[in-house]
Amino acid sequence: MKTVKGLHLVFAVSGSLLLAFIVLPLAGILLNTSPAAFFKALADPEVFSSIELTFRAAAIATLLAAFTGIPLAYLLARRSFRGKAVVEALVNLPIIIPHVAAGIALLLVFGRRGLLGHNLEPLGIIFTDSLGGIVVGMLFVSLPYLVNLSRESFVLVDPELERVALADGASAWQAFWYVTLALSWRGVLGGALMMWARGISEFGAVVILSYHPKIVPVLVFERFQGFGLAASQPVAAVLILVTLALFIILRLALMPVPEY
Amino acid sequence: MPNRIICSFFGILACVACSGNPQATSNPVKTPLVVFAAGSLIIPFTALEKAFEAEYPDIDVLSEYHGSIQVMRHVTDLHESIDVVATADASLIPMLMYATTHPDSGQPNANWYIRFATNRLALAYRPESRYAGEINVENWMDVLARPNVLTGIADPRFDASGYRALMAFALAEMSTRRYDLFDAMFRNQFTYPITIFRDDPLTTITVPEILEMESNAHVVLRGASIELIALLEAGEMDYAFEYESVILQHGLEMLRLPDEVNLGEASLDSLYHSVQVDLDFQRFATVKPQFLGEQIGYGITIASGALHPEEAALFISFLLGPQGRLIMEEQHHAMLTPPGVDGAEHIPASIFGVISPAGGE
Repeated sequence: MKTVKGLHLVFAVSGSLLLAFIVLPLAGILLNTSPAAFFKALADPEVFSSIELTFRAAAIATLLAAFTGIPLAYLLARRSFRGKAVVEALVNLPIIIPHVAAGIALLLVFGRRGLLGHNLEPLGIIFTDSLGGIVVGMLFVSLPYLVNLSRESFVLVDPELERVALADGASAWQAFWYVTLALSWRGVLGGALMMWARGISEFGAVVILSYHPKIVPVLVFERFQGFGLAASQPVAAVLILVTLALFIILRLALMPVPEY
Repeated sequence: MPNRIICSFFGILACVACSGNPQATSNPVKTPLVVFAAGSLIIPFTALEKAFEAEYPDIDVLSEYHGSIQVMRHVTDLHESIDVVATADASLIPMLMYATTHPDSGQPNANWYIRFATNRLALAYRPESRYAGEINVENWMDVLARPNVLTGIADPRFDASGYRALMAFALAEMSTRRYDLFDAMFRNQFTYPITIFRDDPLTTITVPEILEMESNAHVVLRGASIELIALLEAGEMDYAFEYESVILQHGLEMLRLPDEVNLGEASLDSLYHSVQVDLDFQRFATVKPQFLGEQIGYGITIASGALHPEEAALFISFLLGPQGRLIMEEQHHAMLTPPGVDGAEHIPASIFGVISPAGGE
């Protein structure tokens, strides 16, 4: 037991270095923001509506991905087919591609002169400088989180259980709903939360498609670039705190800590 | 029932997705007016936007700020739907917008501009900057050339303030007759050097196509001069070349440069004409980007592809009218009186009425 203890101690020390690396900048920005500046930023209507827009756009992106990504994740978990490796690689592409490059690629398809954007513009559906563009940018860069985490949790559900449900007279839909999803909900939910959070934090792809209306990352960037440190830091602090608070509440409410 | 948890989460998402603060998205009732402007205009134009929207509640101004050459590229290369274009160098408009055509109409991207404001180049710094107690109008070039002094300059390939900073060095060499200063500052800073060729009557500075800082460089480049402000405030550099208006807006320490150097005096144009910056690259296929020194002149125009030219004309009239002038002056940004015009016959009559109230020239 002695050696295990030593190993764990060393690992705990090196691991806490990494934790400090996460905590220090966040604590720094929060402690360096005076309460007056913080509440001024919080009361700034532009900041408020921008936060609201950011969460809303990411929620729309996550819902769109839920109806398409969860079925895809299930198929990837259950079926083997030719080209499956290619499909899995495709799903992961948005993680690998630099997001600014993804933004340019999306602009070429969804922009006013793009393949889809050009044909949808007469219908009043515009993807540049609009909510649509923000959703498209967020959807592209964050969908791998939902698909991957859902797929992994579907894989962990024994297909035998689904067969038992079918044998007992359940329809395939019922088996998916009452057995598969009921057993894999934690991963699916975690994936959806991650996707939502990743969407909220996206900058690169969105800024190329839709500078306006400004999501919070764009607003912070613009204030940093154009107005300086003092103008951007409180907004960044507000964004960090609001996001942290929301995800802590959601995690506590939705995902009770599993017992080991 | 765990599925209820999933459903409730997606329910929450659906609520958030449908929650509508209609003002957060562009209000479809309002007419969007897209304004692309030089970064150094961000503070006065933000105030201008507010006052303009108060005067015209049906118009929603959507503004973006970049280095002046970048502003042009959003029109000429990226073909974005832009209404008003305002650059820190009016000469960019004929060079890049007259000379290129809009892909749909085949017309030039612009055929007129108004030279409406000026500025002066100066050095911004903090009280804590290295040698802040020592730097003055005589020794600034020596101080900046010291290897432990970090100086921020806008990238001359993207921003007018960048090539103007290079001009300022060449002009300072001439006025002090010390022809070692440019090299002392810029030698060994970039993987491909910025070169200077001193001749009479024209000194030519050539900026290479690829401008990468060496790892130990004391010159710090950013895409636009305003991007340097936050870095200066954060202590990432000691000095930055900025326009006087921008330095005053941010309340930073300022070293004014002599008139022979700061590009702010119309009467010294013949002196400024003795330097030129060439951008040595092919990105502008049809255009040769050469900038001859002259008094700083900000230019504004309406892009020929503008979706809302009438609202754009209202905006420019507002800027050039008494309210706009007052806002610019409050933000320390000097307007030109009277403004210069090019392509007068193409300027919308409503704008012309503002710049020459007597009824035209």
